[in-house]
Amino acid sequence: MSESTEPIVRNSSADRDRAGVQPLLELRDLDTDIALRRGTVHALDGVSFEVMPGETLGVVGESGSGKTMTALSIMGLLPQGGQVTGGQILFEGRDLRSLAADEVRRIRGVRMGMVFQDPLTSLNPTMRIGVQVAEPLRVHEKVGKAEARERAIEILRRVGMPRPDRIVDNYPHELSGGMRQRVAIAMALVCSPRLLIADEPTTALDVTTQRQILELIDDLREEFGMAVILVTHDLGVIAGRADRVAVMYAGRVVETAATGELFRSPRHRYTEALMEALPESAIREAGEHARLYSIPGLPPDLSRPLTGCRFAPRCRHVTDECRTTEVTLSPGTHQHACLHPVPAASAGPVTLPAPARIEAEPAPEPAAPPTGPDGPAATPVLSVRSLVKDYAAHGRGLLRRDAGQVSAVADVSFEVAPGETFGLVGESGCGKSTVGRLAVGLERPTAGQIVLDGTDIAGLTGRERRRMHRRVQLMFQDSYAAMNPRMRVDAILAEPLEIQKVGDGAARRARIASLLDQVGLSRRVLERYPHEFSGGQLQRIGLARSLALQPRLIVGDEPVSALDVSIQAQVLNLMKDLQRELGLAYVFISHDLSVVDYMADRIGVMYLGKLVEIGPAREVVRAARHPYTQALIDAVPSITPNPAAARDGITIRGELPSAMNPPTGCRFRTRCPLAQEICETEPPLAGDRHQVACHFPLRPESSAASAEAGAAA
Amino acid sequence: MVRYLITRLGQALVVVVLVTVIAFLILHLLPGGAARATLGKEATLEQLAAFNHEMGYDRPWIQQYLMYVQRLLHGDLGYSYQLNQSVVEAITQRLPKTMVLSLLSTLLAIVLAIPLGVIQAVRRNRWPDYAITSLSLLAYATPIFFMGLMMIILFSQVWPVLPPEAPQGFTVGEVLADPAGLVLPTVTLAIVTIAVYSRYVRSTMVDNLNENYVRTARSKGLSERRVVLRHTLRNGLFPVITLLGMYLPALFSGALVVESLFNFPGMGQLFWQAALKRDFPILLGVTVIISIATVVGALVADLLYAAVDPRVRLRGRAS
Amino acid sequence: MTTLSEAAHPGTAPEPADASEAPVRGLWRQGLVVFCENRLALVGLGLFILLAGLCFLGPVFYHTDQVHTDLSAVHLAPGEQGHPLGTDGVGYDQLGRLMLGGQTSIIVGLAAGILATAVGTIWGAVAGFVGGWADAAMMRVVDAMMSIPSLFLFMLLAAIVTPSVPMLIVIIGAFAWLGPARLVRGEALTLRSREYVQAMRGMGGTGGRAVRRHIVPNAIGTVIVNATFQVADAILYVAYLSFLGLGVPPPAANWGGMLSDGLADTYSGHWWLLYPPGIAIILIVLAFNFIGDGLRDAFEVRLRRR
Repeated sequence: MSESTEPIVRNSSADRDRAGVQPLLELRDLDTDIALRRGTVHALDGVSFEVMPGETLGVVGESGSGKTMTALSIMGLLPQGGQVTGGQILFEGRDLRSLAADEVRRIRGVRMGMVFQDPLTSLNPTMRIGVQVAEPLRVHEKVGKAEARERAIEILRRVGMPRPDRIVDNYPHELSGGMRQRVAIAMALVCSPRLLIADEPTTALDVTTQRQILELIDDLREEFGMAVILVTHDLGVIAGRADRVAVMYAGRVVETAATGELFRSPRHRYTEALMEALPESAIREAGEHARLYSIPGLPPDLSRPLTGCRFAPRCRHVTDECRTTEVTLSPGTHQHACLHPVPAASAGPVTLPAPARIEAEPAPEPAAPPTGPDGPAATPVLSVRSLVKDYAAHGRGLLRRDAGQVSAVADVSFEVAPGETFGLVGESGCGKSTVGRLAVGLERPTAGQIVLDGTDIAGLTGRERRRMHRRVQLMFQDSYAAMNPRMRVDAILAEPLEIQKVGDGAARRARIASLLDQVGLSRRVLERYPHEFSGGQLQRIGLARSLALQPRLIVGDEPVSALDVSIQAQVLNLMKDLQRELGLAYVFISHDLSVVDYMADRIGVMYLGKLVEIGPAREVVRAARHPYTQALIDAVPSITPNPAAARDGITIRGELPSAMNPPTGCRFRTRCPLAQEICETEPPLAGDRHQVACHFPLRPESSAASAEAGAAA
Repeated sequence: MVRYLITRLGQALVVVVLVTVIAFLILHLLPGGAARATLGKEATLEQLAAFNHEMGYDRPWIQQYLMYVQRLLHGDLGYSYQLNQSVVEAITQRLPKTMVLSLLSTLLAIVLAIPLGVIQAVRRNRWPDYAITSLSLLAYATPIFFMGLMMIILFSQVWPVLPPEAPQGFTVGEVLADPAGLVLPTVTLAIVTIAVYSRYVRSTMVDNLNENYVRTARSKGLSERRVVLRHTLRNGLFPVITLLGMYLPALFSGALVVESLFNFPGMGQLFWQAALKRDFPILLGVTVIISIATVVGALVADLLYAAVDPRVRLRGRAS
Repeated sequence: MTTLSEAAHPGTAPEPADASEAPVRGLWRQGLVVFCENRLALVGLGLFILLAGLCFLGPVFYHTDQVHTDLSAVHLAPGEQGHPLGTDGVGYDQLGRLMLGGQTSIIVGLAAGILATAVGTIWGAVAGFVGGWADAAMMRVVDAMMSIPSLFLFMLLAAIVTPSVPMLIVIIGAFAWLGPARLVRGEALTLRSREYVQAMRGMGGTGGRAVRRHIVPNAIGTVIVNATFQVADAILYVAYLSFLGLGVPPPAANWGGMLSDGLADTYSGHWWLLYPPGIAIILIVLAFNFIGDGLRDAFEVRLRRR
């Protein structure tokens, strides 16, 4: 079984390396400093790695690990105050640091290309796309206007732009995010570079678009015979796409190895911990509801002098030696900088078993009954019936006139039982956040009912409405934005109690103290202001505030999406612990299917305002019935790539239609590979426990299958 | 875009109407009312009553206002007994000259402020930036007439190359025929304008230089010069167009002071002399005309901005 | 105007160290530290204290007769007959007059600036909170008044009423509030949609609480910063009105009036009548601009999250 995790070896890279081939790019002991107002941050400290011609090197790390600074150092694009202070950048055998500025610029413009994270801001908004794409040709190859335009059209066609001859005359804001990223790639490739650096190229995109873009980069790499440096925080993206991986932590490379080798047998304790912190590892290892391994603490402050292994303060296997000895990368093909590495045996503790996503595997025993601990008869905490929300569409900015209706939520119904976690998944613009805001009463529905604990909130008077807010609370993605920057934490935590007039001063102080204990923060945070905390700490404070009124339900809108994997694990564990202790119910809204899969008992999948599938979490994820759900699942990058899914899975093409004018009938039909004429009529949400709104569900409801299995036994 | 045009035009119209309301109210809040204001202190009560009846000032206010607007639409802004000419006539003599002065100094300001602002942004937080910022602040903090006087002392007394007085021509042509006399008033008015514009250019340029698209442009291996000139400058300059409109009131206020100091026969000087003589028909007429000029100028600037910046121009077409 | 310095923009700033290690400091303390790091702001504050001290405390130690003219001591050069800065055309001691005039300039500037800020804040806040038609109507009024060049308006009013110190304050204050009104309205609109206001509404909080606890405390910085610029502008307006012959009549004095009087003496070489008031005006206006820039940094909590 473990054979199936063999990396997909690519022809182009099979015979690379160690055969006298010179590396295309080699970094030797690269140091980069960034001077800030309050001291100098040593962003990179002795970074070394090499990239062979034609291979893909994945550089992975959390925020502040230096992965982006490495890319920017190579490209000479460091921010103000940033400077490479030591080491060599050898490109095709020549040190870029020792060449004349003009020559380096030419090399970077012609022989290298770079794609950035945010396609919405990385194109010049007032320059026509054709002009931007062709600019390197005009500058470096002195190509004439007409020819430049022709070549721009040609390269746009090769990155899969529809109607490239018209797109060249458009401006960036007329295109969607995915399309803009294609333009950015076209721009990077127009001079046929030898090296493409992609810095989080898909982080700002939806998973289905991410898949399209990653596949495009892969295809183009072979077509152009170039090497790729893929910088990302997402281990899954790396596992599926890179030949070799460099893991970075706190400004250093801590481990490099061939991709398959690294994921099968990580050596550095940080790499090991990082993989264990992924929700998908917890699911794979122990079925559902296993605790995630969470790395304690925070990465070090790089503006202070550091000695020893930089991961030592957070490491499970730390010894005194780790704190004092400088560790360098071990020699060989699998390099690591760890004094107490994970044993190299393939039977190490994190050896990953076969991918869980095998279609033939029947869904295991039905998950915890969705009705929760109170038994089937309990009233749902939240019951949403035929919810509709339309917005008047405003022209943006200067012009504020009604321009039509945006159908944000269209006829959505679901229930959440006490103590249950209901996951709501979907891509941006599907209406999942609107459902959350409606559920907590921040907005009023256009039509439909929201019943909290048996009470329809539409009929509440002012006072009852205020009391209603005690039962349900919202948790935000960006806790910093959700806290008044001029209020101290004690005032922030006391605010819900004051609003709801709970207890007197002393009682409130006691309650706040117990809240801090619950979320694992010290009392000292009370005198501080939000800007003094890190993302994970802020999310804890946000959670504490949500808990202050002892709600029965917390609606979390992307509560961990802004956090690094190790911090995300801390928050997810905390949320689970609190649920167990307090009997909380969650509505967990996220675009990240693997996190929802880990957290939720039941999952609802939304597409363009509609709930297309709803059912027990394991069944929805492992035996999806709606083609959209399946496409979503297939698009999620996993650290155990499933080649079968990559080849045969359902891929969505095209663009998300506008919610102002959604398709009639099944809203997914315009992008669905299975669509037929009947899909122009609206499919009802049909089924027993695992419902789907599709005329051609991929499979029958699997509860039937499990019932059969039960009968056979 | 069409809808934006209509909205913006409607707004401008409302503003013009409000301006006339304000002018009308001020006229009628004057001690002794419009009659006293027009006829002066020596007028007898009978003369006042006769005037009030003739102009309809004994009717209800709404009616009075409508009559006022009607007269305004017919180009009748009243009669100045002190100048012994109609207000419209006095203004049409002076307004073009004020426009020449304003236009010249605005052009000069733009030509100088853009490079200064760009230099500041590119060399931000280094000595060229600090030097220009300090000079801008100094110019901003100096009363215009003091600045003008310094110019006169420097260029007419210490180093006598320019006349201390503006050209006294009756027509625009005569004024332009004496370019040497125009230099000091134009430069004086331009200096404060340069200070304001260059700070604005600096800030939009700094904002743009921090944008991600600039990093993309650099990643193409473009020279810093090309990055600034081809990418950021265009984007940074679009909003400056709207600033030209917003700055008009301050520009006209400045022109008032400069014209008074250099004895330039423009609308500002007309207004100043009228203020000293309490010649209210002129005061109100000039106020209304200069305000309408401001509204129209701001409107033109906004529409121009919408026409040239593709982010605004194509807003309706974006998905 | 823009701030003199932008915060550096590092691509990926490392996570701050655990907050509980750093010493506890209140927001006002932190703001003070930021303010004090801005050297120009300190210079501005020092200048203001120096000038205000000279004008208000100076006369206590340096007695001069600023009521009766002394035609026997006209146009004395600095140093002559015990007049450190000489005398003017009617024999007033120039240094003493500078102190007296400074009192008027500073008082009118401060009072008019504060009045304008107060009126503008209320107008803008109401427009921003009420929204809809009231907002549109109120902002069109602001647009209309803004399109009348302010100096024309001031002169028109000064021609109607005889200017005195309180009258100057009212005239300038009553028409300089347009800028703050626009600013506060914009601020109210942004703050109203901030996530922390939404979070508070999600706890069942009322609109009143949003204004009291969240919007006012966060908008107050912008308002105070703007007030300092308003003061600087008001001092300049007083100077312009005096230059145009519509300032406070003698024997009262202000720097602007003294400067305009000094203009007449340009050609007769009485430089001490021209430069001291001119430089004083420039210094006080600069001082308020520096202070404003420093305060802007100090109030910006977000800047400190780096």
